[in-house]
Amino acid sequence: MSLLKAEDITVSQGDTPILHPVSLHLEPGEPLVILGETGSGKSLLAQAIMGTLPRDLAARGRVALGDRLLDAARPDGFRPLWGRQIAVLPQEPWLSLDPLMQAERQVTETHRLVRGLGTTEARVQAAADFDHLGLTGAGHRYPHELSGGMAQRAAIAAARAGGARIVIADEPTKGLDAARRDEVADLLLAELARGGGLLVITHDLALARRVGGRMIVLREGRVVETGPTKTVMDAPTQTYTRDLIAADPDNWAARDRQTAGAPVLTATGLAADRGGAQLFSDLSFDLAEGRILGVTGPSGCGKSTLGDVVLGLVPPSAGRVKRSEGLAPTAFQKLYQDPVAAFPRHRTLKGTLEDVARRHGQTQDRIDALMHRLGLAPVLLLRKPDAVSGGELQRLALLRLLLVRPKFIFADEPTSRLDPITQKHVIDLLCETAATEGCAIMLISHDPALVARTADQMLSLDPAAPNLDVTPTRVAGALQ
Amino acid sequence: MTDTVMIPRPAGHAVRWTGAALVAAVLVLALIGPLAVPGDPFAQSLLKALSGPEAGAPLGYDHLGRSIFHRLAHALRLSPTIALAAVLTAGLAGLVLGTFAAARGGWTDRVLITLADALLALPGLLLVLIMLAIVPGTALGFWAGLSLVLWVEFFRLTRATTRETLASPAVQATRLLGFGPTYVFRTHIWPEIAPMMLTAAAFGTATAIMAIAALGFVHVGMRAPTPELGLMMVELLPYWREAPLALLSPVIATFALLLGLTLLAGSRET
Amino acid sequence: MNTLITRGIQALMVAVLIGAATFAMMRALPGDAAYRIAAGRYGYDNVDTAAADAVREELGLGGPALPAFLTWLGDLLRLDFGTSLVTGQPVIEEIGHQLGASMALAGVAVLLSLILGPPLGILAGLRPGGVLDRVLLVVSTGLKAVPQFLMALILILILSVQFRLLPAAGHGEARHFILPSLALALGLAAVNARIARDAMARIGAMPFYSFAQWKGLSPRQTLLRHGLRNVSVPLLTYLGLQFVTLVEGVVVVEAVFGWPGIGHALVHAIFSRDVPMVQGTALCLGLSFVLVNAIIDLVTQRIDPRRAA
Repeated sequence: MSLLKAEDITVSQGDTPILHPVSLHLEPGEPLVILGETGSGKSLLAQAIMGTLPRDLAARGRVALGDRLLDAARPDGFRPLWGRQIAVLPQEPWLSLDPLMQAERQVTETHRLVRGLGTTEARVQAAADFDHLGLTGAGHRYPHELSGGMAQRAAIAAARAGGARIVIADEPTKGLDAARRDEVADLLLAELARGGGLLVITHDLALARRVGGRMIVLREGRVVETGPTKTVMDAPTQTYTRDLIAADPDNWAARDRQTAGAPVLTATGLAADRGGAQLFSDLSFDLAEGRILGVTGPSGCGKSTLGDVVLGLVPPSAGRVKRSEGLAPTAFQKLYQDPVAAFPRHRTLKGTLEDVARRHGQTQDRIDALMHRLGLAPVLLLRKPDAVSGGELQRLALLRLLLVRPKFIFADEPTSRLDPITQKHVIDLLCETAATEGCAIMLISHDPALVARTADQMLSLDPAAPNLDVTPTRVAGALQ
Repeated sequence: MTDTVMIPRPAGHAVRWTGAALVAAVLVLALIGPLAVPGDPFAQSLLKALSGPEAGAPLGYDHLGRSIFHRLAHALRLSPTIALAAVLTAGLAGLVLGTFAAARGGWTDRVLITLADALLALPGLLLVLIMLAIVPGTALGFWAGLSLVLWVEFFRLTRATTRETLASPAVQATRLLGFGPTYVFRTHIWPEIAPMMLTAAAFGTATAIMAIAALGFVHVGMRAPTPELGLMMVELLPYWREAPLALLSPVIATFALLLGLTLLAGSRET
Repeated sequence: MNTLITRGIQALMVAVLIGAATFAMMRALPGDAAYRIAAGRYGYDNVDTAAADAVREELGLGGPALPAFLTWLGDLLRLDFGTSLVTGQPVIEEIGHQLGASMALAGVAVLLSLILGPPLGILAGLRPGGVLDRVLLVVSTGLKAVPQFLMALILILILSVQFRLLPAAGHGEARHFILPSLALALGLAAVNARIARDAMARIGAMPFYSFAQWKGLSPRQTLLRHGLRNVSVPLLTYLGLQFVTLVEGVVVVEAVFGWPGIGHALVHAIFSRDVPMVQGTALCLGLSFVLVNAIIDLVTQRIDPRRAA
């Protein structure tokens, strides 16, 4: 018998439907993945099943949980199930723990108030949960004293303490690097091994592949394709699914290695620290026109700091960066992770680009030519930065840099906030820029596959001694 | 403590328009009123003391037989003028010093923020009272005292916003693209500050008008026979039973003016 | 520790500012300041030119401004305020008498405002845009536009003059507290309510607040265990800043109701140009702001460990 069965779930805002009828069922021991890009309605589907939709959205449909029948249009009916039948894993665990309460107490209170254990029992149980998850001794820490991975595990313990058999994870790997992503997937699967149900909502193909089970692909509020995850990912029947899977960096064709042009910069013996702790030391490399240097490493290892050091925005604690002679002061540029934050937010894009063009003696024709080359519609220029999609704005940011005729671009996770298809497009344009404009690029990404298939040279900043986190396999093993 | 800055949040359009309309109505009464019905705010006629409205005095007469209407109009020109002058001085000083402190950082910043924090610990009315005792002339004293009190808020707002803006990727990008401080101020900082300045100015004007009226009410502000809102209220308080309209006129006008300014400003968030 | 040093510097700056302001006030006094001070010290009958000269010598009133100012500031920092020019009593004793009455009034007013404001604000913040939220917005906006003296005037007119329910002046009995403390509390409550409402609405929209409910906690449990503690931090911080408004209100309201406190004394001292009294009361008010905020710093750091970092 299914653990959970949802039939004809729809979501609408006023009279506008934003999620067309979707049905799904969750079986014990078999994970279900809902895959989709931003705006596909995948999170809305999850929220409709949990009864947590924002007030201005209305859901319809039926949800059967064991022998209970619920109406999606009446979200209040779902409330008694939270924590007891359905456990919801938060998107960003760091933000999901009360900042003013010690981590273990947030698990203890669930054991006591939701499962109904006595005070001492609840405390013992919470401590045991922490031990199982490799968080021994971290119970008295406040959330801001936990690393991202530790917060994630503490949040999982808190969500599961109520004893729910069904786990719903909405984008559980948002903002995590590859190593952490696998750790989370293993944790989720370990939960499943206890005979529960698992529903994972994600845009992350690697996570989907690792979770396995069955899959529903959503696009713009409609189901595109369903089937066993492995079958869908290996042999997609729909064009959209094929594009989506082809856009996964794991499936990219490797870029042809470029021959180096004139040298642009030489870095020797670079070191930097943050708050007294050394981030990296003794890094030496050089970069030439047309080449792409890929930098990888887990979050917090100092990738972005390295880029800022090369740009001269942050002084290195040792070593130096030598720019080739004859380069203009503005020859070194930066492409930001969040393009919206990198534009003056009160000015139209047209105004901003014209200012840059005028400052650097470029004409309107150059803007028009670049707009065309980067596949951007002229109408976008009339808008302000926050009214343009992330992919388009990142291309406009690239355009703005090209007006300066840069020789070096530091691209700081330029696609980490973009959907896979858009990500591939932007990275392709970046590679093309390196070749056509003859500029050197330093590309930072948390995704080793993306860097491996794009860069000519690689630099890994994996620190020798990682933090307290234990390996995912150990955690998964401890749980079983 | 320097981090706790109240960020003004612009109010909805409807609320702001209501506020603007209230302020405008009061100002029309103050500026156009005496033109429509000519009269002298100082002329006494004891025979008419506390008598009701008539054509030459639409709001009746006070205890000395002076036209309330003309005294009110005069009072409604006096406080807003002083308040506006003080707000302009304070706003300009706060803007310049705030941007300067944020841009320079280091000791400049530390000295200015220490000074601002110390002023923050002192009740505004106290500073105004002391300035009134130092500076010759009550109106000038109010202007000096209120400017001294009000610049702190403008300074803190400007400084906090400028610091945040200067540290943003947008400004970093603009600088990398080769633009100088003038361009950064014009395209990044000013658009962030301007709406806040307007809100802070409306609050500041309300604060100043309240201060002038409060001190007038406890006999340490404007001196009789100057028509001033607080002073008028305290003078007319003993005659409440005989002439309620006489007392209500300055009370209602003051409330309308302050409410209008508050609505115009919008509310603030911590 | 760090906060205490910052607060210490603030206290020192407050003292210097007040010293500078009162020194300027002294210099701006009409007539012979030394003579007046001497009169204040020894009584008008005992003042002669020699006594006045001695005072002039001591305070450097006749000489150049800078050394005189340093002497003045030195006295202030040693908490040597001198004697009142009006009563001839040591300033410190006068303040000692008045401080109790002011603190009682301020305490009752703050308590009243805390009973009225934050609970309503939190209820409104739990449902932003709801009926209570909109009503509270209108009421608090209206109340904020009423200065304390006007509130006092309105309360006197309604409760004292019109209905003769309460005395408009006097002090010593519990019923004398009602009007002055209400005049102070209503305005404070309006602002407290807004702060609590905004904080609650913000915290209620945070992921951890939803997550606490998804864990299975009831709305009530979530509010009690995760809402109130988080709301208290911005509320306390704001209350500290509000202290200045409270002091201003105390000055005005005491003057209006003839309440024998420090604010009343300050207005009198200003009126009669009693500089030592002005200096003493101003310093007392300024330092109490710093003290209250230092205590609030320590309390919020205990509640929110992130602040101690």
